[in-house]
Amino acid sequence: MKTLHLILAIALMQQTHAQDISGNAEKGEHLYYNFSCYSCHGYGGTGKTPLSSETSGILGSESLFLAYLRLRADQNPINPKNSMPNYAVSTLSDEQALDIYAYLRSLNDDPPAVAENPVMQEMLDAAKARGKGSEN
Amino acid sequence: MTDAKLNKEKSGEISRRAFLGTSAGAAAASLLGKSEAAAQTAPPAVRSTLPRQSAEATERDVGDARLPAVVRAAQRPGSDLMVQVLRDLEIEYVAANPAASFEGLQESIINYGDTPNEMPEFISALHEESSVDMAHGYAKAQGRPMAVLLHGTLGLMHSSMAIYQAYQYQTPILLIAGRDDTNFLRSQSADDIAGIVRSFTKWDAHPKTLAEALDAIQEGYRQAITPPCGPALVVLDTELQKEEAGDMQAPAYVPPQITGISTSEARAVAKALVEAKNPRIAVGKLRTPKGVSDAVELAELVGASTSTRATLVPMSFPQRHPLCGPGADTDYDYTLGLETGGIQAAIIGPHRRTLEGRDLTGIGYGFIREPPTPLWGPYAPPKPSHNDMHADAEASLPAIIAEVHKIISPSTSNTIAARSKQHAVANHEAAVTGLEKALEERRRGWNGSPISLARLYAELWILIKDEDWCLASPTQFSGGHNRVLWDHNKPYSHLGMHGAGGIGYCIGASTGAALAAKHRDRIVINIQCDGDLNMVPGSLWTAAHYRLPMLVVMHNNRAWHQELMYAQYMAGVRGRGGDRAHIGTTLRDPFISYAKMGEAYGVDSEGPISDPSKLFAALKRGVDTVKQGRPYLIDVLTQPR
Repeated sequence: MKTLHLILAIALMQQTHAQDISGNAEKGEHLYYNFSCYSCHGYGGTGKTPLSSETSGILGSESLFLAYLRLRADQNPINPKNSMPNYAVSTLSDEQALDIYAYLRSLNDDPPAVAENPVMQEMLDAAKARGKGSEN
Repeated sequence: MTDAKLNKEKSGEISRRAFLGTSAGAAAASLLGKSEAAAQTAPPAVRSTLPRQSAEATERDVGDARLPAVVRAAQRPGSDLMVQVLRDLEIEYVAANPAASFEGLQESIINYGDTPNEMPEFISALHEESSVDMAHGYAKAQGRPMAVLLHGTLGLMHSSMAIYQAYQYQTPILLIAGRDDTNFLRSQSADDIAGIVRSFTKWDAHPKTLAEALDAIQEGYRQAITPPCGPALVVLDTELQKEEAGDMQAPAYVPPQITGISTSEARAVAKALVEAKNPRIAVGKLRTPKGVSDAVELAELVGASTSTRATLVPMSFPQRHPLCGPGADTDYDYTLGLETGGIQAAIIGPHRRTLEGRDLTGIGYGFIREPPTPLWGPYAPPKPSHNDMHADAEASLPAIIAEVHKIISPSTSNTIAARSKQHAVANHEAAVTGLEKALEERRRGWNGSPISLARLYAELWILIKDEDWCLASPTQFSGGHNRVLWDHNKPYSHLGMHGAGGIGYCIGASTGAALAAKHRDRIVINIQCDGDLNMVPGSLWTAAHYRLPMLVVMHNNRAWHQELMYAQYMAGVRGRGGDRAHIGTTLRDPFISYAKMGEAYGVDSEGPISDPSKLFAALKRGVDTVKQGRPYLIDVLTQPR
């Protein structure tokens, strides 16, 4: 537990450098798919378990991202408590991991708002209209 | 044209050249030709739209095979009476892959009576697993069985996984296995062929006389539809199918007496519902549409807010009914469960554990045990509840409704009306709020490629929401977005899961649901996983051949994706990375063209579609085609989940 606290503390301190991105996003994209990160996080990080700065706390800084990737394997390699696989240094180097980080930080999903999405707006309008009778 | 050729065409026969498609005019009269061609050549007395088999095709199929020695030119073969029994049971369809052990029965199905091949209609399946999956989907949609013919030991084994899944889901199916150990391959018969599937069928019989056989078919039907519902099997020896029936008549069918709660229990439940200030009814999976309409009637009578499982299973309470939702007040003072738990009372039908003479626990199929069976994880005994009433909920509803009518007063009715109105307003607000939240969460990746599954579900919903539709495919592998984006208001809105998670179920069950939909102005939606389709794709041909209204939208993530995640996870916890997890879990190099697969089976198809801006138009083409009574396949490259 002490190790966990230490790593998290270091990682959080280093968030002051949150904007630092040392990796290569182009290489990171290749690695993201080659290591099947997309299988849970989706193409472009927009899958069932999305990965973006807004939705995922682990993208705060490179060190936080690295700590998260390594931490799970260090803490509980046999029966981790969530389904995120571990990535040991022997299988994914720091350099490769930071390339993936750079790729994730380069993603920019900018979907239309519900009000600007005709399909979604039509669904919402229909749902609202359905209850008109019950409000009378 | 010669007289001989003219006569041949008038008779509906088709030349070998035409069958092989080797002449320019062949298409118009070929077996796979347009219905107009069939209509021009079919004798007017035959009402079936399907072309008859040609002499050439018969020669091809039979070759120099000798007829079995036991065959008799019966004037009134026993199998005709078997078909009469099926008709009396209002069995609409019999699905089968043709075989020798039921040739007598098959011949009767297509030729018996004045209007041959109308009911039950013989449905050609390309695999016995598909036959049973079709029956599984049909029964889920209609709340009643169709029949399946299976060939001896081999057909039963081919179909065994599908039977197992129907058993797990407690879906009624009438299985008939032909048995011939006199004049056919010994290896395709056995003394007790039903033993192959006895551990996961509800009941079986091997009658020794024609009279027993007719009774057994009726009893098999009764057993299948009596809770706990499930597949029931009748083994019919080929001799019984072919023997002369003489003056024998089909016995009158007597429906089963399905037991509900006692009158005193019904009175107590009714009193509690009427006297409660804020009653609640939790509705699980009932058996038939009648059960659903009765549940609605009861909820409206007593002004109870309700919960539903309609987004997960068929035959539950309408999701968007004004009373469905948390209601105006979630402090319920009386909760009745119907085939699900209820805090004060629950009416729970019998489970498979009650079946006598079935090997439920000693076969290595672990979870066929006591209810409630956990979906995931190790088996744990159920927690005893003193509130459970062990009876079929659907059979209990009429008595409860009758008792409510007896005790409800005008002043109580006014109170109930006011409460119902409050529930309606609150449930509507909850539904809108829930949808707003769901849409916000599902915006992400809207314009991404591969295509977001949430977008696929959303755009498809716009196109079908005003149609009578049935979502036949399981949806958990494609995100389950229907649960929050669609309205499940019909007993057949969503047919739920596979039964045991067995892959290959989806396309067959959807085809069966489309059989149910065909004459009911309904369309069937199948969000089809790629791994599932590759197991038994032949149902596409059945859908094309019978002009079934089934839209197949491929959830093509080019993988057995759940297993990809498993392999990736296992490599991770073993410190070996995930860069080889795709081996054995993905469908790459080459990619599979599902549009070409669909076309190969005769289904209008398009794709792959990876540009999200082109999805809606493709879906519209699909829905328009299906509404015209033809299947359509759209291959969509999708996000993994």
